[in-house]
Amino acid sequence: MTALVTGRYYDGLSSKRHQVDITFNSDLTALILSADTLAGGVLFPLKDLRALSDHASRDSLTVTLHFKDSDDESTHHTARLILHDANLIAQLNDLCPNLNNRDIKTGTWSKVIKRSIFAVAAVVISVFVILPRMADTLAEIIPIEREIAFGKAIAAQVEWMLGASELGNLQCNSPEGIAALDRLVARLSKDQGLQYDLDVKVFDHEMINAFALPGGQIIILRGLLDQASGPDEVAGVLAHEIGHVERRDATRHALRAAGSAGILSMALGDFSGGTLAVFLGEQILESSYTREAEAEADVFALSMLNAADVDSTGMAGFFENLQGLEDEMPQVLEYFSTHPASAERAILARENAAGQPTTQSALDDAQWLALRKICD
Amino acid sequence: MGTQMENAGKSIAGTYQGEGGPLFKLAMVTSLLTLVTLGIYRFWAKTRIRKYIWSSASGDGDSFEYTGTGLEKFLGFLVAIVILAIYLGIVQMGLFYFGLNLFAEPTTEAEMLAQMAAFYISFFAVLPLIFFAQYRSRRYKLARTRWRGVRFGAEKGAWGYAFRKIGHMILTGLTLGILLPRQTFLLEKYVTNRSWYGTEKFEQGGRWSGLYPAMKHIFIGLVILIAGIIIGAVLQTPAITVISGIVGYIWLLVGIVSYRVNAFIYLTAHKELANAIGFTAAPRTGQIIKLYFIGALLIGLILTGITFVIGMAAAAIFAGSIDLAALEQPGADPFTEFNVATLIPVGIAYVVTLAMVGAMSLALIIQPIIRHVIGSITIHNADALDRIGQRDSAEGVDADGFADALDIGGAI
Repeated sequence: MTALVTGRYYDGLSSKRHQVDITFNSDLTALILSADTLAGGVLFPLKDLRALSDHASRDSLTVTLHFKDSDDESTHHTARLILHDANLIAQLNDLCPNLNNRDIKTGTWSKVIKRSIFAVAAVVISVFVILPRMADTLAEIIPIEREIAFGKAIAAQVEWMLGASELGNLQCNSPEGIAALDRLVARLSKDQGLQYDLDVKVFDHEMINAFALPGGQIIILRGLLDQASGPDEVAGVLAHEIGHVERRDATRHALRAAGSAGILSMALGDFSGGTLAVFLGEQILESSYTREAEAEADVFALSMLNAADVDSTGMAGFFENLQGLEDEMPQVLEYFSTHPASAERAILARENAAGQPTTQSALDDAQWLALRKICD
Repeated sequence: MGTQMENAGKSIAGTYQGEGGPLFKLAMVTSLLTLVTLGIYRFWAKTRIRKYIWSSASGDGDSFEYTGTGLEKFLGFLVAIVILAIYLGIVQMGLFYFGLNLFAEPTTEAEMLAQMAAFYISFFAVLPLIFFAQYRSRRYKLARTRWRGVRFGAEKGAWGYAFRKIGHMILTGLTLGILLPRQTFLLEKYVTNRSWYGTEKFEQGGRWSGLYPAMKHIFIGLVILIAGIIIGAVLQTPAITVISGIVGYIWLLVGIVSYRVNAFIYLTAHKELANAIGFTAAPRTGQIIKLYFIGALLIGLILTGITFVIGMAAAAIFAGSIDLAALEQPGADPFTEFNVATLIPVGIAYVVTLAMVGAMSLALIIQPIIRHVIGSITIHNADALDRIGQRDSAEGVDADGFADALDIGGAI
């Protein structure tokens, strides 16, 4: 005979409290709750008893009943029984085999699998199909003067980020240098029927780099001229950037980046270290976007060099130097890290050079010297 | 309304019994699990922490109960991702495209910076969604909250909330914050009047102009700031401007906390349930600021200790990897043994420390403030609670999924 134990009972139908007396039934398979306010009492079968998890109270136990076909959001009955009696709590822990079970509604796992597939598919389709298509379309329909204005705005940002104290003062403008550069551009674009009027500038910065911006603008950094072994190398890089301009890669890329911004961080969430995962994911996404564009710009550049009778050995040399630099300091040239492996590109350029009949240096010695001194 | 009700029946005082140790342990374990599962466990982590905090709050010996599940949240998140991945991508790109039409060749640095800022126009694609998600998240949390076995709940209305909030924010901005009480009050009224406990409805009474006294310290802070600038300029003494700038700024920050606290007191006192049950709350601004600083100080001290230990360990690892003999030979590489692998323990220590900071701020800052606020709440005329019946179970729908995907809502 167990001593009389009491508890609080809520029937799940109203918020009225019932102070109940609790006893076990004769074969210890159920609790019997009785109170004046409860007609007929309530039976709690021990095998169906479930304790609420992660409960803060150390000296009480809140239990409910497992109820498979519950219309509740969980598989629990809505009734609750709150116990404070330490002996009874200990007894229930012994007698109820399923007290801490986590029951899941049937069909939940297939739902998880189905929805996971949908979610992954939606992200993949959005990032790799819908957004690229949309970016391609928008890049084609944007009016050229808008694209030029956008490109100029980016050029100003690039200049500012490279440390210009005032807009325009990084721009190199020795007249002989500009004349040489114009000559090079004219030679390359002759008879090519380009859609854009090219606007090529040199910025006084030591980084070895060149970019194509929207609307026909190309920026070469002085470091690239310093490092180049001859005008053919610069011609190769320039032809490559013209390829980007013609393909509208910069505009397309900006649109694509704007569209996919945040989608990855949304999927991964902001757990500790999540930022790093998002960063890595975006790098991978980025390089998968650009590799294809780079390869196509290379093909464009080679045919441009062929048309202009410029030896593509220079371009090969540039890639070989780049490969050397990459081996030395892999993280420095981040711009080029999104490009296909430089060694492969060098081989393509050399193979092309072997098939070129007659070539002529891209600039003569005096012009080349002038171009190298464009920033002086 | 107050006096009549207080006499009408018994009152119930809110209590909070959660403790720092168990909550810290729970938060730490769940965030490590989140880390190991690359973020997937975060839905279960949040659910378990909510269960702990809800069950800590009680009135008249009856704890609240959170009945949401991690699985349900994960499923809701997956639904949200499907919609957001496509919607966000398209709207962001569209806005960016129209943003492009705003560009012109910049001639000054200011113009250039303004255009750079225009790049972030796509933020506005997310803003209505964030407010939408806030309402949905609140609705889900209410639907999964029970007290005395009876469910809370809220009606649909997330888009209505999102558009009203945007409208109010524009109006508040245009009036330089003067209509902030109107925004606070009307949004709270919108939300409260759609909230239920069982079969009974909540009702927000009061007037928006009743929130102006709560803004007192914001006004004082602003007056100090502005007066300091003017007096400093007139007297040609920059010291006055600087001192009043600092004092005014701190006063303003405290004023913002004070506004939130006093607005909460006013709004709580004017809420009613089932046209019969009233509430009062008496949290104190000073106490909340004090709790915040004590918690932050403790975390700072603990972190300093940990950083010191990790720093020593990292230094030892680094030193061990340097080939000392090679240092003396020109041309030889002294860092032969130092490779990326040695950085892994340092990386792990960093990430674990981050998780710990999160767990500590929950246990040492957020929980004490929750304890203070809940401990200050009283329910009046509680006898009327007995008449309240159960309400039907609400579908989880997205179960907070939008809030999770957009990463709003913080630790709980």
